[in-house]
Amino acid sequence: MTFLHPLALLGLAAVGVPALLHLRQRRLPPVLDFPAVRYLADAERRTAKRLRLRHLLLLLLRTLLIAAVVIAAARPQVRGWGRATGHEPTAAVIVLDNSLSSGVLVDGRRVLDGLATAAHAVTARAGSGDRLWLLLADGVVRRGTPAELDAAIDGARPEADHLDLSAAVRRAVAIASGATLPGKEVDVISDGQAKALSGPPVPAGAVRVIALEPKNAGVPNRGVGDLRIVDTRLLVPVVGTPGGKAGTLTVTFRDRVVSRVLAAAGDTLAVALPAAPVGWWSGAVDLEADELRGDDRRLFVQRVHPPARVAVGKDAGPFVAAAIDVLRDAGRIATGNDVTIAAFPAGRFAVVPATGDPASVGAVNRALGLRGGHWRFGLPATPGRLAVRGAVLNGLGGVPVGRRLGLTGGDPAGVLATVNGSPWLVRDGSSLLIGSALDTGWTTLPATPSFVPFIDALVNVLAQGEAPVSDTVGAPAILFRTSGRDTTGALVEGPDPSESDLTPASAAEYARALGAETASASSFGDAVFTGSARGDAGGLLLILALVLAALEWTVAMTTR
Amino acid sequence: MPPGSRLDLLDPREVAQLGGLEIAAAGVVEGFLAGLHRSPFRGFSVEFTEHRAYQPGDELRYLDWRILARTDRPYVKQFEEETNLRAMILVDVSRSMAWSGAPGRLTKRAYADRLAAALSLLLLRQRDATGLITFDETLRQIIPARVKSGQWHRIVRGLIETPDGQGTAAEEALRQVTARLARRGMVFLISDLLFDRDLALTALRYLRHRGHQVTVLHLMDPAEVELEGPPEVRYQDLESTGSVVVRPRELARTYRETVRREIAAWRSACRRHEIAYHHITTDQPFGVALRRLT
Repeated sequence: MTFLHPLALLGLAAVGVPALLHLRQRRLPPVLDFPAVRYLADAERRTAKRLRLRHLLLLLLRTLLIAAVVIAAARPQVRGWGRATGHEPTAAVIVLDNSLSSGVLVDGRRVLDGLATAAHAVTARAGSGDRLWLLLADGVVRRGTPAELDAAIDGARPEADHLDLSAAVRRAVAIASGATLPGKEVDVISDGQAKALSGPPVPAGAVRVIALEPKNAGVPNRGVGDLRIVDTRLLVPVVGTPGGKAGTLTVTFRDRVVSRVLAAAGDTLAVALPAAPVGWWSGAVDLEADELRGDDRRLFVQRVHPPARVAVGKDAGPFVAAAIDVLRDAGRIATGNDVTIAAFPAGRFAVVPATGDPASVGAVNRALGLRGGHWRFGLPATPGRLAVRGAVLNGLGGVPVGRRLGLTGGDPAGVLATVNGSPWLVRDGSSLLIGSALDTGWTTLPATPSFVPFIDALVNVLAQGEAPVSDTVGAPAILFRTSGRDTTGALVEGPDPSESDLTPASAAEYARALGAETASASSFGDAVFTGSARGDAGGLLLILALVLAALEWTVAMTTR
Repeated sequence: MPPGSRLDLLDPREVAQLGGLEIAAAGVVEGFLAGLHRSPFRGFSVEFTEHRAYQPGDELRYLDWRILARTDRPYVKQFEEETNLRAMILVDVSRSMAWSGAPGRLTKRAYADRLAAALSLLLLRQRDATGLITFDETLRQIIPARVKSGQWHRIVRGLIETPDGQGTAAEEALRQVTARLARRGMVFLISDLLFDRDLALTALRYLRHRGHQVTVLHLMDPAEVELEGPPEVRYQDLESTGSVVVRPRELARTYRETVRREIAAWRSACRRHEIAYHHITTDQPFGVALRRLT
């Protein structure tokens, strides 16, 4: 409860007046002679209980009367009272879901435009005492005035990102909870996509969460999922709202259409890519346009390179030799001296596993120094499990390492894998140092299925200084990484495929997952800030004062 | 005072302003008798003794019509007991009687004095032996009942010379009275009765048992009947150290009921013991009080 005229509350000091007068009268009554005191005493004795009750009742009524008048004069604003004339200062966080799915067209109008209208309804009802935040799909929390947030809302465009709505609401609840204002509210404005919900229900606590009710009918949609190239085949998953119609899917590679087929959500197509010369080549997969255009196109990159020419030293061990044979048979490598795998560094690029002979460590380190490297093999270190950095070595994480030598002295940027936090695999100029011998006496890695891909990555990627093709969420685009005149990697951006399924959550599921009250689009504006809405209770208090005055008069007149 | 007004029907305050006790009482009696058509008191016996000249107020049934026819002068017949009627007026002079509830209004004591003087004059005019006893905690003034001339002035002087007393222990005073009233007669008790009712009634009952015709005149100031005063007040008892803090407006109704109940209790107890009881307030004309007594 707040007051329009809080200074008037100083008048509450007057509530003590009846009690003071009562006590004062009690203390200093005039003394008069009276002969029939015995009658008085008798009458007083018979009425003492009633009179005491009457005095207390009158005292209470008069005190309440004064309090009611004073509080009424202060114009109390009570939350949830009568017809709202305003609301308490409120910390309100607007979660506006401008993820990819908000770009879908429904009845010729973009969904995001409707969401923006609902968001404007919140800012329009915000008062000067409120504190507002805006949380968009990009994860950036914006705090500002209603005008500033209106500008941000108007500037919001459908992002390629996926918005984890549950996580966003949890974050918004935390922001609102941290505010010191009496009202706390999170206004969730989203298309209500079922896949936007995750995890357990949001514990809203003292924060009121109001969510725009999701529409029941899902819009049919199909989109291109994450592309993957296996050998010379392009795997194309088609994602989207289940049950939708099929549309034409076109695969373009090196500016030529290589395939055009009909595909519907749930299909996965394998498209054979034509042979290409050595180099980096790009392509695109396009779907026939539907209501959500943002997921209808996705790009891909193919790296075509000659097999690495590899030599293996005798001290590399039998497991390495066997892996090299497999890779050679598969055409992934050829025999040559571009890359040498041996315990003693040699060749143009040396892959150097740790040696089992402690007496040779010094010689190895000196040879590394002569090659311009800074990393050195050190003393035996503690066993542990592998932890890798980067996508190239995926699959090696957690592999036990029982024996290893410490790697010291170089640039930490070159560390590619660690054991117990200390380097195990490092790239240092023209050398790759491995902290263990590639033998089951040192690590179980040679006995795992990941070993051959690991050797492949060592000689074809890491030894070449290339980064793999990686994917990220964004508008369809390809970014090539270069080193000098060489292209060393590519970043392919595309929309988040989980945004393509436009199936909405049911209202009940939505409310439960977000710990929210839901309101339809037409009533959403009226629903916001109602948790902290305040009505003027002054009128009622005046009526109460009148009732108290009437009661006081009745008690005073009828019980004398 | 308008010419020809009867003093017995005037406001006691106005009567008191006319002069001293004697003048006021005499005026009251004159007015009272002028309004009567018969004698106020009757004896118990019917044994004829003698004739005497008719006086205003004598009952016409005692008029001797034969003498009137023969002599053209009115005479009334007197009877043995009537000539020997003895009346004793007991006046309470305790401190509580010396109180008036309003400025200018007679105190209960002043009212009682005038009433006692008028009553005694009325009795003496009928040649009834009349006496006076004033009392508070004990007997203060005793004027034996006589019928001889100058008795009324003695009674009046006795009233005047008795100062306001202290507390009232009426039962003790009344016990002393009973010891002094050997011959039966009439006893008038004029008091505010602010004493123990049961003890006082014991003494009065004893008087009644001795053959006295007892009349109790319960005298109250109007302010004792209807409680008024400031919003809150400490009322101090005149005859003790007792006091009580009350709010008159709040207590008025209950107080009025208490007074009514007290009066009813006195009336009921007196009736039970064949004692005449009258309640008089000091704003009532003396004539009204006398009328009740006769």
